[in-house]
Amino acid sequence: MKKTFLKIAAACCIISLSACSVKKNDSFTKPDGKLDKCSLRFSWWGGDDRHEATLKAIDLWNKKYPDITITPEYGGWDGWSEKVTSQVSSSTEPDIMQINYDWLIALSPDGNGFYDLGELSSQLDLSQFDDEVLSFGKVGEKLNAVTVSVSGRSLFYNSQVFSRMGADYPETWNDLIALGNRFSEDGLYPLDLDIQSGGTAWYLAVVYVQQQTGRQFITLDGRLGFTVEDIKNALSFYKQLEESHVIRTVRTRTDEDGNAALYQSPEFIGGRVAGVLEWGSAVGKYESVLPEGVLEAGPLLTDEKGCSDGWMIKPSLLYAISKNTKHPDEAAAFINFLLNDEECAEILGTTRGIPASHKAEAALQKSDALNGLTKESESILSNAHTVTISPYMELSRMKEFYNTAIEAVSYGTSDVDSAAQQMFDSVNNYLEKIRK
Amino acid sequence: MKSRIYRNPVGVSRFTGLLLILPFIIGAILFIIYPFVCSFIVGLKDGSGDLGFDNYKNIMSDSNYRQTAAVTFKYTAFLVPLKLAVSLLVALLLNCELKGIGIFRTAFYIPSILGSNLAVIIMWQYLFTSDGLVNQLLGVIGIAPVGWYGDPDKAIFIIVLLRLWEFGSTMVIFLAALRDIPKELYYAAKVDGCGSVKAFFHITLPQLKNIIFINLVLQTIAAMQEFNAPYMITGGGPLGSTRTIGMYIYDEMFRYGDEGTANAVSWLLFTLIGAVVILLYRFTEKLRRD
Repeated sequence: MKKTFLKIAAACCIISLSACSVKKNDSFTKPDGKLDKCSLRFSWWGGDDRHEATLKAIDLWNKKYPDITITPEYGGWDGWSEKVTSQVSSSTEPDIMQINYDWLIALSPDGNGFYDLGELSSQLDLSQFDDEVLSFGKVGEKLNAVTVSVSGRSLFYNSQVFSRMGADYPETWNDLIALGNRFSEDGLYPLDLDIQSGGTAWYLAVVYVQQQTGRQFITLDGRLGFTVEDIKNALSFYKQLEESHVIRTVRTRTDEDGNAALYQSPEFIGGRVAGVLEWGSAVGKYESVLPEGVLEAGPLLTDEKGCSDGWMIKPSLLYAISKNTKHPDEAAAFINFLLNDEECAEILGTTRGIPASHKAEAALQKSDALNGLTKESESILSNAHTVTISPYMELSRMKEFYNTAIEAVSYGTSDVDSAAQQMFDSVNNYLEKIRK
Repeated sequence: MKSRIYRNPVGVSRFTGLLLILPFIIGAILFIIYPFVCSFIVGLKDGSGDLGFDNYKNIMSDSNYRQTAAVTFKYTAFLVPLKLAVSLLVALLLNCELKGIGIFRTAFYIPSILGSNLAVIIMWQYLFTSDGLVNQLLGVIGIAPVGWYGDPDKAIFIIVLLRLWEFGSTMVIFLAALRDIPKELYYAAKVDGCGSVKAFFHITLPQLKNIIFINLVLQTIAAMQEFNAPYMITGGGPLGSTRTIGMYIYDEMFRYGDEGTANAVSWLLFTLIGAVVILLYRFTEKLRRD
């Protein structure tokens, strides 16, 4: 019996060793140019406005292509990246996925993590996209994803609160600081910056320093562009925002909201916090918790000379196809429908930002649907000298470094100098490690 | 020639016995032993796929890991004794023969069934916010509002309280054990003039010592694996004061995609739990034997 047990244990070890060291399958199902009857899974994250519009778009697809069934999988942003990472690592991901910019590096560092959409040109019309927009989804020579829209973070304010306070939207950084002092008399805050998954606190501090120095925080090829002094300036600026009552301290914010997102916070819904820094493509969730028309886009903050450099843009979302899909043609046809179909574009509106596809944008223009905060945000950003965010900046591990530093400075557990030095070392070491 | 068939005294062949436990053996190999071995091997792989102990070395030098280990031990040290004491106290109260006592027993057990579901978590989140129910109640008795979530020293107690509230399972085990204590022991003690408190320390506690040990081990294991409650309620903050080893594993695996580190930490946690259980066994051995 003992021998039998030992034999079974040895067999397990051998099987495990071989199974755990098997190279991941890099063979893709080849496209055949035909649309066969099948069922596909499509996943996305977003707010309710995006969910409702996408479900309606899927209904339209089902009417147009009754043989190809789409099963939707959707939810909020929090925890979504973790869910998709676990699906990809266990090869159970959906056939079609809405992905974030940094996932290309995290999930497809060699370009083999997703299907090469360049092979699916018979179903996917890529002529509707500018070359620069298409380049966002390329890893090496492979087109891993197609950009849905290009977006940037802008400032949005509760117009009711501002008009009650008799205040104008800030135009310069100094205006913003002055507003904090003014709002503090009534216990209000003109803005809120978080250190959760959104991580807007570090983002705004980076914009401030990029505008001052002209240096990009992280370059597109994944190198740290900031010096220790720059990081120190960014952290000091953040601290100044807290001290001037522009934003809540991390402690106040955590006490008041716990772990809840800002758009679910009574402080934001009730107007005590009167502003938010958010992607133009995702502002809908903030807009929908306030009375209609109350949330308005404000100008991008500039220095005293009106220089608007330093604000950033990126592909807000991309569509990718799983490398494990058995139906690449059908998946590509569905992505083409989402991106380029005029009827679909009208249903989706600007719930994923202003479409990068010329055809979809023209359809929205024609139906007078290119309006609202998303459009306003895009117009504001298009008038500024924006820079494209490095996908490396958005990696989850990097966000941990930013949040650790911001939290330490906010709580005073570390001075700005040592927090800056620690962040500089951590970011540098990590970038060096993943670039290898 | 007839083959020999071994039979046990009740006449069932050894082959039949093996056949009956085969589903369990297959299940154990597929779902316990194989993943265990696989996890160990993945834990030995570094970023470039080479086998070695680099992951373990990196983890040991990672201050974040050391902090999560400290948080996990602190959480376990607060929760487990409190939970055992509260469970035993409530079990003693519910052990009386009153009309309708079953309703109370059910009511106290319900929080354990609810567990860490979303509704409970949301309720818990709002209970402890600045203007939540807890601070409002404190205000009634003249105590200033407490910053529960934002204070690194207090945040862990929100999680401890949630788990303490879910004491039903431990309580049920105590209740079942209490009902097994022969009534004659209490009658005899009463005849000898023994009061309730003395009877508790000299009859009830000694009779429950093995059950207390079982609950102690079960609760320690569960506390050291804690993930859900801090993940949902505090997200591990502030300043990592509620980030347990379970959350560290989750972050490494699913947030940062570092399978090697996540599996290595899982093995460290497994070893830690094993060591703690052995220590508990050794420390309580004499008490349980006496």
